[in-house]
Amino acid sequence: MRKSTFLSGVSAVLLVLFIMTLPGRAQNLEDFEKKVTEFTLDNGLKFIVIERPVAPVISFVTFVDVGGADEPVGHTGIAHIFEHMAFKGTHYIGTSNWKKEKKALDQLEKTYQQWLQEQYKARPDSARIKKLWSRFEELQEEAKQYVVNNEFSRIIERNGGTGLNAGTGYDQTVYFYNLPENRMELWFSLESDRFKNPVFREFYVEKEVVREERRMRTESSPVGRLVEEFLTVAYTAHPYGRPVVGWHSDITATTIEDAREFYNTYYVPSNITIAIAGDVDPDQVKKMAKTYFGGLKAGPEPPPVYTEEPPQRGERRFQIVEKTQPYLLTGYHGVSQDHPDFEALQLLGSIISSGRTSRLYKRMVEEEKTALGVSAFNGFPGTKHESLFITFAVPNRGFGVDTLEATINEEIEKVKNGDISQHELDRARTNARANLVRSLDSNSGLARALASAQAQQGDWRTVFTRLDDLDAVTLEDLQRVAKKYLVKEQRTVGMIVNEENDEEVADANQ
Amino acid sequence: MKRISSVLILILIAGLSVATAQKRYDQLTYPELNTFQKPNVEIFTLDNGIKFFLVEDHELPLIDLTLRVRTGGVLVPNEKTGLASITGTVMRSGGTEKHPSDQLNELLENRAASMETFISFSSGGGSMNVLKEDFEELLPVFIDLLKNPAFPEEKVELAKTQQKSAISRRNDSQQQIGFREFEQLIYGENSVYGRTTEYETINNITRQDLVDFHNKHFVGSNMMIGLIGDFDTGQIKKLLTREFGKIEKGTRTELKFPEIDYEYKSSVNFVNKPDVNQSLVLMGHIGGLRENPDYAEIQVMNEVLSGGFSGRLFQIVRTDMGLAYSVFGNYSMNTFYPGQFYTGVMTKSSTTAEAIDAIRKQIIRLQKEPVSQEELKNVKDQFLNSLVFRYDSYEDVLREQISNEYRGLPDDAFDQYVKELRATTIQDVQRVAKEYLRPNQMQILVVGNEEEIGDQLQKYGEVNRIDISIPQPGSDKTQTVQGDAAKGRQILDKMADALITPEQELNSLTTVAELTQFNPNMPGGSMTMRVTTTVDYPDAVEQTMETPQGPMKLNFEGGEGTMQMMGQERPIPPQMIKGMKEELNRSYLAIARDNEQLDPQYLGTEDFEGETYDKISVTIDEKNISLLVDQDTGYPRLMRYEQFNPQKGENIQVETHYSNWTVKNGIAHAYKEVTFAGETKASEVEYESHEVNQK
Repeated sequence: MRKSTFLSGVSAVLLVLFIMTLPGRAQNLEDFEKKVTEFTLDNGLKFIVIERPVAPVISFVTFVDVGGADEPVGHTGIAHIFEHMAFKGTHYIGTSNWKKEKKALDQLEKTYQQWLQEQYKARPDSARIKKLWSRFEELQEEAKQYVVNNEFSRIIERNGGTGLNAGTGYDQTVYFYNLPENRMELWFSLESDRFKNPVFREFYVEKEVVREERRMRTESSPVGRLVEEFLTVAYTAHPYGRPVVGWHSDITATTIEDAREFYNTYYVPSNITIAIAGDVDPDQVKKMAKTYFGGLKAGPEPPPVYTEEPPQRGERRFQIVEKTQPYLLTGYHGVSQDHPDFEALQLLGSIISSGRTSRLYKRMVEEEKTALGVSAFNGFPGTKHESLFITFAVPNRGFGVDTLEATINEEIEKVKNGDISQHELDRARTNARANLVRSLDSNSGLARALASAQAQQGDWRTVFTRLDDLDAVTLEDLQRVAKKYLVKEQRTVGMIVNEENDEEVADANQ
Repeated sequence: MKRISSVLILILIAGLSVATAQKRYDQLTYPELNTFQKPNVEIFTLDNGIKFFLVEDHELPLIDLTLRVRTGGVLVPNEKTGLASITGTVMRSGGTEKHPSDQLNELLENRAASMETFISFSSGGGSMNVLKEDFEELLPVFIDLLKNPAFPEEKVELAKTQQKSAISRRNDSQQQIGFREFEQLIYGENSVYGRTTEYETINNITRQDLVDFHNKHFVGSNMMIGLIGDFDTGQIKKLLTREFGKIEKGTRTELKFPEIDYEYKSSVNFVNKPDVNQSLVLMGHIGGLRENPDYAEIQVMNEVLSGGFSGRLFQIVRTDMGLAYSVFGNYSMNTFYPGQFYTGVMTKSSTTAEAIDAIRKQIIRLQKEPVSQEELKNVKDQFLNSLVFRYDSYEDVLREQISNEYRGLPDDAFDQYVKELRATTIQDVQRVAKEYLRPNQMQILVVGNEEEIGDQLQKYGEVNRIDISIPQPGSDKTQTVQGDAAKGRQILDKMADALITPEQELNSLTTVAELTQFNPNMPGGSMTMRVTTTVDYPDAVEQTMETPQGPMKLNFEGGEGTMQMMGQERPIPPQMIKGMKEELNRSYLAIARDNEQLDPQYLGTEDFEGETYDKISVTIDEKNISLLVDQDTGYPRLMRYEQFNPQKGENIQVETHYSNWTVKNGIAHAYKEVTFAGETKASEVEYESHEVNQK
C-alpha cells in the first residue's frame, strides 16, 4: 500500500511529533569509530560503511542532499517526481529495446512541450491543442510497447530485497532497501546504473500517479490540507512554504527535460552520500565502490538555496471551516540545525510535550481534559534551513481550538518567565540519550542516521556529539530562546474549525 | 612507435577495466550466504503457569520485556464494547496504590524507562523497556502494575472521554470509514467482528467492569513472557521466578470466537464524503483461516495479485494505467476466525468505475488463465531469498516463537509453510483462485464524493447508501411515555387556553429581551446581549442579536436560512436549522397552537419549589417533553427534556423555568426564563415586551 513516499504532509507531521530522533551519547562514539569506515571516491561520492554482523543482511541508503526546498520556481514537486523515476529502470533494465524506446520518448517529449506551449499562449488554439494531445497519446502507446513493467523493482524483490522504498522531503531525497549479504554486488550494479543512466520512462503516466498521491495525502485528508495551507502562510519567501508533492499546475508544467536538468544539477557525486550497514567487509565495499561508481562523472557543486525568509512583521492566522473535527497548528520562526539555539529549542519542545510528565500533556490531556493529544516540536518542515518550532493539538469533543490555544500560550509564557526546573531539563536529556541508544539497534536506522549527519552536517559523528551540545544547554538558555523566538510577531496560527461548531455562538443565542 | 605505444596503452586500459568490470544484474553470481546463528531461546514455566522465553543480546545495555496475556475484546458483550481496550489503558494510566500515576510516570521517565499495557481484540499484554541497570529495581513495579492496578475513577473517566473524542472523530478519515464499514459489510454490524464502540457502549462501562475484567484475565495461567537484552540467563531466572511468582495462578481464559455464517452476495454500497476528491474503493468477501491446508497456495495467489511492486494490481492499475498511487489487496487468513478477502484502490472520483473494473478483471484473470512460469518463480524467489530477513534480529526470533505459542501453531508451522510454498504449482494457484475467489459475488464499498462520482456506480446494481452518522445515546429509542391520555388532554387544553385566549389567533410574535449566557470559558463567565425576535408561525424566525462584534442577524424559513454578521452573509448549515426548528416547535406557544395534533399523557403530579403541579408529557420531534402545569392558572412552570451534550458524550437533562407571566392581546408570555443544563445554569432571559401579530 505504501510505495515511494514523500516525507511531507501528514505523515511527516505525525512522524516528527511522535518520534524523537535525538542524537546520542558521546561515549558510544568510541565504539562506533571502530565499526565505521569512511572513504570518498575521486569524483566526490562519499561512503560510510558500518560493520554490524548480527545477521547475514545489509541495509543500503543513498542519501541525496536535495529536496523540495531546492526546486526551481514553477516546478514544485520535481524532486519527488524524479524520485519516482528512479524506480523506472535504466538503459538495460525495464526495456525491451532502449534504442527504439528512446526515439519514441524523444518524440513524446517534443510533442508534450509543444502542447504545453500552446496551452500557455494568450490565445491558445484549441484545435491544435487537441491534435497535439492525441499525437501525444499515440506516442505514449508507442513508447509503452518497449516497457518491461517495474523490472528494476522486481529484480530486487526476487533477490530477497526488503524495505524497498524512497522518500523525498524538503531537505533530502533518500533511497533505501535491504539485501541478503551475499547479494551486495547486486546493489552496486543496480544503484550505480540507475543514477548513471536515469531514464524517464513512463514519465507522464507516473505524474498521474503522483497526482493521486497528492489527492490521497493532502487533498482528501484534513490534516494534510491544514499542513499545506499552514506552510504557505508561515513562509512568504523561503521554499519551505511550498508543498513537496507539488502544485497540480506545476506537475502539469514539468517535462522530462526539466527533470533531466534537475538531475544534472543535483545528482552529482559530491551531493550524494551512501551508507551501508550490516554484515559487510569495508575493503570489499571500497573495491566495488570504485568499480561501479568510479565512472560517475564529477559535477559542479549544486547551487545553494539563496532565499532567506524575511522577518515576519506580525502574527499570521487562518481558519479552514470544514466538516471535520477541529485541529490547531501553530508555528514560530526559529533556526536551522546549524544554529547554536537549535538544541535548546529541541529540548524545550520535549520538556513541554514529550511523555506523560510533560507540561502540556499533563495539563491538557490529563487534568483539564481539553485535548485528545498535544505535541510541540522543533524543526518543521525541515532542519537544514531556518525552520519552525511548532505545536499541534487535537481538541477533545466539545472543546474549541481557542481554549487549547490559550492554554498552550500560557505554558509558553511560563517558560519565558523561567518556570522550568533543572529536574525537567535533566529528564529531557536522559530521554534523548536513551532514544539514541534505542535507535541504534537496526542496520537501516544506523545507516540513515549516519548518512544524514554526514551529508548535511559534514560528519557522521554529529549523531553522537550533538549529545554534548544538549548537555551544554542551561535553564537560562531555555528561557532565553523562548523569549527570543516564541513571540507573537513570529507566529502563524492555523486551525480547522468544524462548520457546525463554528456556528455555536449563534446556536446558543437562539 | 609512438602510435603503437598508444594502442598498447589503450589495450592495457581495456584489460584493466575488464579485470574490475562492472557486471549487469544478470551476469552476477552470488557466494554462499553467511550463516546466521539462531539465538538460543531458554524456555521455562513457573508453578503459576507463566511461561518464559529468554534470549540474551549484549549489543546494547538494554533489557526489553514483553508480556502476552490470553484475553481480548472478543470476550466483551456488545453493550460494553470498548471495555477491554479501556481496561488495558487504565491499568497503566491509573497506576497502583503504591505507585500512583504521577509518581509512576516520573519514576519511569527520569530513567528513560517505559511500561505499557494493552488489550486488543484477540490478545492482551504489556511491555517494559529499561536500561539494564534499572531492571532489578523496576521489575517489582511492573509486577505491581500487573497485579494491583488501582483503576482510579478519574482515570477511568479520562479514558472514557478520550474514547468518546475518538468516536466523534471517526468519520474524518476516509480510510477509517472505509475499513470500518467494509468490516461491517463482511461480518455484520452486530457481530463481535464488525461492531463499533459507541457513546452508549462507553457510557455503559463502569470502574467495576474494569476491575473484574482485569482480575479474571491477568493471571499466571494466561501469561507468557519474552525477555531479550543484556542479561545473564542464570541470574535473571532467579529474579524472574521470585517476582513473577507473586502473581496468582488463576483460571485459564478460554477465548471463544463466534462462528461466522457468511452468505456470499453482490452488493454496491456507498458512503458520501463531500470533502474528498478521491474515491476509496474496497471490494471483496469473506476470507479464510490459517489452518486451511491450502494456506501456502493462497499466499502465492495473494502475491501474484497484490504483492509489492511486482503484483498485478500495482503493475496494471498504478504503473500502466496511472489510476492510483495506492492499490492493494489481500486474502487474509487469521488463526482464530476467518479474515477478509479485499482488494482496494484510491483513485480520483472520475475514474472510480474504471478502477473497479480494472481490479475485477485481474481477479477474474486469476481464475481464467494460469499464472506464468515467471510470475510463479518470482514469487518463490522473492519469498525464499528474503527468508533470511525473517530472523534478522533476535527480537524477531522471540516474537515468532511467542506468537506461535499463543496462537497454538506447532513450532514447525513456518518450516511447513516454506515446504508447501516451494511445492506450489501453476495449477495450484489457479485451483485456489477458482475455489476461494468469487469475483461475481463481491461486496463493493465506495467512500467518496457523490457529486464528483455521479452515476458511475449504478451499473453495478442498486446502490445501498450507508448512513455513518454517529448515534447519540438514547436517540434511537424514543418511546412515547405512557400515562393517562384523557386527563393529559384535559390539562393540555387548559394550558393552551391560558396561553392563547380562545378566539384569539396567534400568527406572529415579536419579543425584545436581554439574554445572559453562562459559560466558564467566556471572559467573566457570562455574556449578556439584547435580542429581538420575530416568530412567524409555524416555521419562520427573524432574530437580531447585539453581540460585542456588532449585530448578528439570523433569518430562516422552512428548511433554509442565512446569517449576517459584519457585512457577511452565509447560509445556516442544515443541522443547525434542524435544531432551531425543533426548539421553536417545543416552545410553549407553539405547543399551545398545535395543541390538537399532540398526544399528551398525564403522569401525575410533581412538587416544585413548594407547589404541586400537574405533570404531562408530549412527544415533539421524537423527543419526550415534560411540562409542569400550574393547577390554577394553567401556565407552564417548567419544561424538561433530554438533550445530547457533545461535551460529555451523553444525554443531559435540560430544564427551563418560566415566571413573571404577562398577557397582551390575549397572548400570555413568561417574562423570565431560566434554563439549566444538568446541574448548571446555562442562560437567563428577561423579556421587555411582546407584540402579537405585528408582522
